[in-house]
Amino acid sequence: MSSLIFVRNLKKYYPIIGGIFKRRIASVKAVDSVTLTIRRGETFGLVGESGCGKTTLGKTILRLLKPDGGNIFFGAPQEIINEIIELEKTNPKSKRLKKMREEYDLATFSGAKLLELRRRMQIVYQDPTTSLDPRMLVKDIVAEPLVAQGIAKGEEAKKLVLEILERVGLGEQHLYRFPHEFSGGQRQRIAIARALVCRPEFVVLDEPTSSVDVSVRAQLLNLFKDLQKEFDLTYLFISHDLSVVECISDRVAIMYLGKIVELAPTSKIFKSPLHPYAQALIESVPIPDPTKRKERAPLSGEVPSPVNPPAGCRFHPRCQLATDVCKKEEPPMTEIEKDHYVACFALMKR
Amino acid sequence: MTSKNSTRLKDSLVEVKNLVVRFYTYAGIVEALEGVNLHVKPGEILGLVGETGCGKSVTSFSILQLVPSPGKIEGGEIYFNKDGKVLNLRKLDEDSIRKIRGKEIAMVFQEPRAYLNPVYTIETQIGEALLTHRMEEFLKRAIETLEKTGKGSSFERKVYERMLKKPKSRMTRIMAKFCSKKTLKEEIRKEVIDLLRNVEIADPERVAKMYPFELSGGMAQRAVIAMALSCNPIMLIADEPTTNLDVTVQAQILKLIRQLRERFKSSILYITHDLGVVAELCDRVAVMYAGRVVELADVYELFKDPLHPYTKALLESIPRPGREFKSIPGTVPNLINPPKGCRFHDRCQYEMEICRKVKPEFMEIKKNHFVACHLYGGSK
Amino acid sequence: MSTKTRWERLKTEWAPRIEEWKFILRRIGESPLAIVGIAIIVFFIVIACMAPILAPPQGRDPFLMPNDEELASLTPQPVPPTTRHIFGTVISNQVAGQYDIYYGCIWGTISAFRIGIMVVAIALIIGITIGTISAYYGGILDEILMRFTDIIIAFPGLVLAMALVIAFPTLIPVDITQIILMLSAVFAIIFAAFKPERKFVLPTTIILVVALYLYLNNPIILSMNLTKLDKVLISLSLVGWPSYARLIRGEVLRVKNEDYVEAAKAAGCSDLRIITKHILPNTIYPLLIVSTLDIGSIVLTAAALSFLGIGADPNYADWGNIISMSRNWVSKPGLLVQFYHTFLIPGIFITLFVLGWNLLGDALRDVLDPMIRRR
Repeated sequence: MSSLIFVRNLKKYYPIIGGIFKRRIASVKAVDSVTLTIRRGETFGLVGESGCGKTTLGKTILRLLKPDGGNIFFGAPQEIINEIIELEKTNPKSKRLKKMREEYDLATFSGAKLLELRRRMQIVYQDPTTSLDPRMLVKDIVAEPLVAQGIAKGEEAKKLVLEILERVGLGEQHLYRFPHEFSGGQRQRIAIARALVCRPEFVVLDEPTSSVDVSVRAQLLNLFKDLQKEFDLTYLFISHDLSVVECISDRVAIMYLGKIVELAPTSKIFKSPLHPYAQALIESVPIPDPTKRKERAPLSGEVPSPVNPPAGCRFHPRCQLATDVCKKEEPPMTEIEKDHYVACFALMKR
Repeated sequence: MTSKNSTRLKDSLVEVKNLVVRFYTYAGIVEALEGVNLHVKPGEILGLVGETGCGKSVTSFSILQLVPSPGKIEGGEIYFNKDGKVLNLRKLDEDSIRKIRGKEIAMVFQEPRAYLNPVYTIETQIGEALLTHRMEEFLKRAIETLEKTGKGSSFERKVYERMLKKPKSRMTRIMAKFCSKKTLKEEIRKEVIDLLRNVEIADPERVAKMYPFELSGGMAQRAVIAMALSCNPIMLIADEPTTNLDVTVQAQILKLIRQLRERFKSSILYITHDLGVVAELCDRVAVMYAGRVVELADVYELFKDPLHPYTKALLESIPRPGREFKSIPGTVPNLINPPKGCRFHDRCQYEMEICRKVKPEFMEIKKNHFVACHLYGGSK
Repeated sequence: MSTKTRWERLKTEWAPRIEEWKFILRRIGESPLAIVGIAIIVFFIVIACMAPILAPPQGRDPFLMPNDEELASLTPQPVPPTTRHIFGTVISNQVAGQYDIYYGCIWGTISAFRIGIMVVAIALIIGITIGTISAYYGGILDEILMRFTDIIIAFPGLVLAMALVIAFPTLIPVDITQIILMLSAVFAIIFAAFKPERKFVLPTTIILVVALYLYLNNPIILSMNLTKLDKVLISLSLVGWPSYARLIRGEVLRVKNEDYVEAAKAAGCSDLRIITKHILPNTIYPLLIVSTLDIGSIVLTAAALSFLGIGADPNYADWGNIISMSRNWVSKPGLLVQFYHTFLIPGIFITLFVLGWNLLGDALRDVLDPMIRRR
């Protein structure tokens, strides 16, 4: 499988403005040097708890936010990527590097190039109540990407809108209504229709099933699977609900305080997680089977604030295996087994 | 039927019978609850499961007579077994029910910071709860401390004694205003810190002085639990307390709830939509759909042998890896014009003719296993 | 797809919004005070429309009250209501002659509507533009615009309006080409700030060039002298826009961070499109409510200015003006009763007018607030 998205050392910091002169006195390091690859046609799951930066990562890849460092490659050929990496290490100020980055690296895009990108990458938000403009008709909401990017308008746009609405399970009778007249599940379908109307290649799904009921969740997940097959989509599925991620993803990455701690195929990471945080996280999920009750809470304490993350490995204050080196240096992502990456010093030693 | 009810009343702490609640809105009359039946036994954790809009929160509010307008309780009974005396909470006047709220039956909500007053510190708010319900106890403690240490003016002591004897007289109130009441406040503060320590908040002295917005979700929820337990209630109603929390924090809070149940022997009515949490925590489970309890059973029994078609479908729809996602066809009915008969009939795969016309009764099919379904003879 | 006639398609297009409006009207209809307010306003609209019939103008400018010379030669004092002058007459201390109050009140209705609606409209346009740009772009632009707004708010409104009205003739030789040039320059700056699509650049430059040409070559037909009342109009709108700017700034700040605005960005919308199609429709409701209330209060302020003599021309048909004329005749308590008609009748007109708009504004607030929350 070829890689569709390659993210390298991506950083996104939010400045904290304070003081009399409103200067940046600190930064929230929401995404701190993340590297990952998403392969064409797969569903890549991204999990973590609140504040870990997964939504920020998804939106930064989509360039809804401007990154503060790193590269994002979308469908670029491998040789170009290699050359850019090489140039960054050896000759970071070269003109050739600047030109190549402006051509291929999404992190530098702006204006017209960004507009072009919108056609190929889209997003479905968590809460369909707030992600649909309450004053617009369904027809206009779904047609918006077409009109804004100049792909179609008027009758032609309406035709395309109808097509995609039928694919997600709605119909002509829903065109001329307002979002508040629909149920949560239907609103999410409208949001999905809006994301797919311009036929993107890559869709970021930001907790799309968190705001809907359990019975509707299954309907939406089936819909995602069908649409992926039909439109040849690649998904980045962000969620804090591990049971859902386990069922829909091909590979999963677990984030903690802005960094990825473990990345592996789904079955491996859920059956035998290696990173201590991953283990604790997966162990904490309540199993819907009373015969399999757990009496202990595997992780104590709270997630520290992302403004002042602990030095070295972010997880070391709560980790049982922490050693001296963990307190000083950040562990690199190492491939422990085939296609199974972990960022942990304790595991590297073995 | 009546004889079964009275035996249940003897061994249950709270019993809700045929509760009917309606909301009178601009869009129409919402039949929120149409006959809810459930009972909580002393010392047990009863889980109340259901999807959004099924009426679980409304049920919990109704027990404490806190149904927000435009809602009205229009039928049914709510019995509370207080030290052997059975009270009908619906028939109590406002003063009596206020004595029960917070003291005998306490409530914990989904978003703790929305239910904490943002302009007062944690200390002040928990202190307020303590002063409202345990005033005498603290006055006595304050007097004792004054006697032991010998500090503090005799005026202060006089004020406390007067507050004990004649709490409502105007003279007492005037005197209390002029008095600094330092000792009383100190006693309350010590108790608050103790309570916070009980719910496993690290560094309770510091947290007590914080404002709600300074706390994280998990800490705020613990603070709210501390407030709810401050008066040693015999029953705690928890309305989705861990839904907004991270999964690791949820595991900690669930462990805490289990420990508190062991320690204080209170019953808990735990409302959630997460079947995993129910399996982890609860002793018995009630499943609600569209304003009715459709099944009520022991937790092991429910997961092993669900009887009601909705329960079965709900358990099937839990995502499991390697299996296809099974959803329940159709949508939750609009409660302004609910379907006649059984409210689940149009989504049920076992639908029969009678389901469309007659509402099934809530009956005990197996020992301690109640179902409301015509498949098991829901009509008398 | 079914083929429909153009009319049918338009109907389906607008049907949901029409349903919404029907719901609003029904809710307004349920409140008795609202109906009273609307009735009052309708009453005034009818008077305004039928003014030429109710009080036929004599002379060139219908807004100048006619002088009853016959009566003027008979008595030097205002005459109480008689059959000939239904509301009585009043005498100005600047221009000689008896002026019919009935005529003044009828044509004053048109003046009132004109001032109220135009001032609020202009203030809304300026306020919304500045407030939205300020809130949407934030940063230092926001700081500058808001401090500028603060400076204007710092002045007492009436005093500033008075100063502007008086200063107007000496400030700028007002002619229409200058105004057009200034407006188009502002327009062009706004467009440049929005970074619009390419297709907007050409029309904007054309407008700018035409305006410049007109200004430099000033054809006489376009030069126009503003009447005194127009100066009042402009001054009041210049004093009134800051409150709208602040109001909409607050709303835009709230809406700016909503998911659907970001979703529109993800769909590829330009800033201008986001502002006009997403942000404005969701933020404008509080402004609608405040502006209906303001129409009433602007008329009061204009009346105050007229009363102080700064407003309209001496015998202009304007309620405040008539009361200003009556000022000379009620200097002693005894005279209050004798010349009651000179201030009471126009006073009643003003009161009713303001009351009508206030009731409507209140009703709108009661209706629109829950509707917004319903979403």
